[in-house]
Amino acid sequence: MRPLLAALALLTTPLHAGVPEAIEGHILPRHAAFAEAAAALNTAAQADCTAEALKPAYNTAFDAWIGVQHLALGPLQEIGGPIALQFWPDTKGFTARQLGMLLKAEAPEAVTPEGFAQQSVAVQGFMALERMLYDEAFSGYVAESYACALTRAIAHDIATKAATLNADWPATAQSLRTAGEPGNATYLAPAEATQALFTALITGIEYNDDARLARPLGSFERPRPTLAEAWRSGRSQRNLALSLTALEEFAALLADGEASETQKLFNDTEAWLDGLDEPAFAGVAEPTTRMGIESLTSYLDLLKETAAAEIGAHLNVGQGFNALDGD
Amino acid sequence: MTSKLKATLLATAIAAPLPALAGPAEVLANYADIAQAGYEDSLATAQTLQSAVDALIASPSDVTLEAAKHAWLAARVPYQQTEVFRFGNAVVDDWEGKVNAWPLDEGLIDYVDGGGATDENPLGGLNVVANPTLTISGEEIDATEITPALLSDTLHEADEIEANVATGYHAIEFLLWGQDLNGTENGAGNRPFTDYASGDACTGGNCDRRAAYLKAATDLLVTDLEEIVAAWSEGGEGRTAVTSDETAGLTAILTGMGSLSYGEQAGERMKLGVMLHDPEEEHDCFSDNTHNSHYYDGLGIQNVYLGEYQRVDGSVVSGESLASLVAAADPSLDAELTAALAHTMRELGQIKTAAEAGYSYDQMLAAGNAEGEALVMGAVDALVAQTRSIERAVTALGLDGIEVEGSDSLDQPDAVFQ
Repeated sequence: MRPLLAALALLTTPLHAGVPEAIEGHILPRHAAFAEAAAALNTAAQADCTAEALKPAYNTAFDAWIGVQHLALGPLQEIGGPIALQFWPDTKGFTARQLGMLLKAEAPEAVTPEGFAQQSVAVQGFMALERMLYDEAFSGYVAESYACALTRAIAHDIATKAATLNADWPATAQSLRTAGEPGNATYLAPAEATQALFTALITGIEYNDDARLARPLGSFERPRPTLAEAWRSGRSQRNLALSLTALEEFAALLADGEASETQKLFNDTEAWLDGLDEPAFAGVAEPTTRMGIESLTSYLDLLKETAAAEIGAHLNVGQGFNALDGD
Repeated sequence: MTSKLKATLLATAIAAPLPALAGPAEVLANYADIAQAGYEDSLATAQTLQSAVDALIASPSDVTLEAAKHAWLAARVPYQQTEVFRFGNAVVDDWEGKVNAWPLDEGLIDYVDGGGATDENPLGGLNVVANPTLTISGEEIDATEITPALLSDTLHEADEIEANVATGYHAIEFLLWGQDLNGTENGAGNRPFTDYASGDACTGGNCDRRAAYLKAATDLLVTDLEEIVAAWSEGGEGRTAVTSDETAGLTAILTGMGSLSYGEQAGERMKLGVMLHDPEEEHDCFSDNTHNSHYYDGLGIQNVYLGEYQRVDGSVVSGESLASLVAAADPSLDAELTAALAHTMRELGQIKTAAEAGYSYDQMLAAGNAEGEALVMGAVDALVAQTRSIERAVTALGLDGIEVEGSDSLDQPDAVFQ
């Protein structure tokens, strides 16, 4: 009889209070902040496209992006998911190859706003811009060169996407709030809205473990420092820290403050990470420093399990499918 | 919502005194039967491929090469329908990398256009066919004899890099078709049969070693498939895992359906290609058979839901279905999921139809090709939509206390809330 009881519970449970709280206290303000930082990046790029001049605005915008990257539903799903803004991991070297092809072809229409929007995601977003600003193979361009126009096109595209996300979130927020009401075709029951946000939370924690940490760690015999996220700009540790801060905020609001075990593990993980001086996780290649980074894996594993169990039980939902399912 | 609630209450009233009505045990036995039949068909068609490869090597010609390609294409039909068993079942997930790993840096195996090595993979230009002595991770390897063991134990995932795919369908595909150098224009790989010719007729160099590689990879595919057929036969690990625990078994079915629909097929294999506009991002990139790969993946998902599989010999395996269980819990949800799966098959069918009429999948991926993008995205959207219905089925069957992603949690289905 368990299945039938569960089905009844799904239909009759009211919307969990954590859903509107997460929308108001986390999702909407963080998208407003991202749109603002991305607009500033675009303004800075149009004023001076050269690498050194653009780095501060790039880093501020990247910080804000990490604060919303885990919210891969609704508007972000509509524009292609997180890879629309950050194409990573890049297992086949698409970004360098396709940027090289663009720069060689020098097609004027490819760097217009309309033309650039049609290009591959590998030449758009923060990882492509990192190549232009931090990779010596790309960063030596001068003002008014084709590379300068390309840099401006990337910054403009980031700002456009951030503005779209910010503009479209209120409608998705309304759809989440009215889950289960007549006329809501996306979320047929209140629990479906709760599940969607819960899935985003757990997937966000998992991504930090499976991608941000596991890729550079490789194995003890074969560490892979150059597979760390954004190692060229020295943002690997920073991105992990910013992501955890955002996820902690999200978890607290979604669980209505009723997730003390999860909260404690967020604190422990962040404290351990703060104690490291590994901006690009280069220490994975040295046995002495590797241990400090590797320990984060245990913290994140435990954090994910605890959050899934504690918050899942509190919200009375299980996880949905996510983009990390599969290979 | 009111009518759905009533329907559920009605189902409760009817089903309550008859807990065995929908028969999870029968559903799971039929699921295992479909898996076994699918892998048996994959094995039989791989054995046909093996004969065709032997014939190609014995007397290389356009005719024998075409026959081998034809056998490869036929072998993909049943195999792709088994991909739905992959994510929910640890025994399949642990095994499948040997036979269907993708994408691959094919420069590991044979000559390619350009060097092949990349930042991420220094072995991308290893070229085993041309080099009897290899250096992998600083260690010298004697590859004078190209054997199944060399492929599986030394070369496959060499240097712990997943793109070093030395075995399976896609390695064989590359050895039969060669690289597709047509970009996002029409046309597949165009390897000449003389790449297997002897003496002065040999093109591409080292034809004997290329033949040895093809032979070893094909033989290995057959033995790997024998292993998975055994796992789903009576007493096998895969069959036992799903039939001995009803909760774990039903979770395996739905996990396989949802993970293949969403993260793997809609995301990794289809949407990513559209967003990268790169012809290498098509699943069967050498043979241009991607439309069929996607189509039969989708069909496999529909098969396990409806509890029916059309075998390659014309017979049918069918029995109690997951659909009947979902219908007993919530008839409107069963109707929704059945319709969603049918809609996906229509969308995948449109891609297949266009490709078979000469508009190949890599052409659909070209930058600025709005029609091609719409064609692929139609199927992506349908797969995403069916995933939502699959999630609802997980909830309706009371399985949502179980984490549905990694095989770790599937091994311990009750661990999450303990």
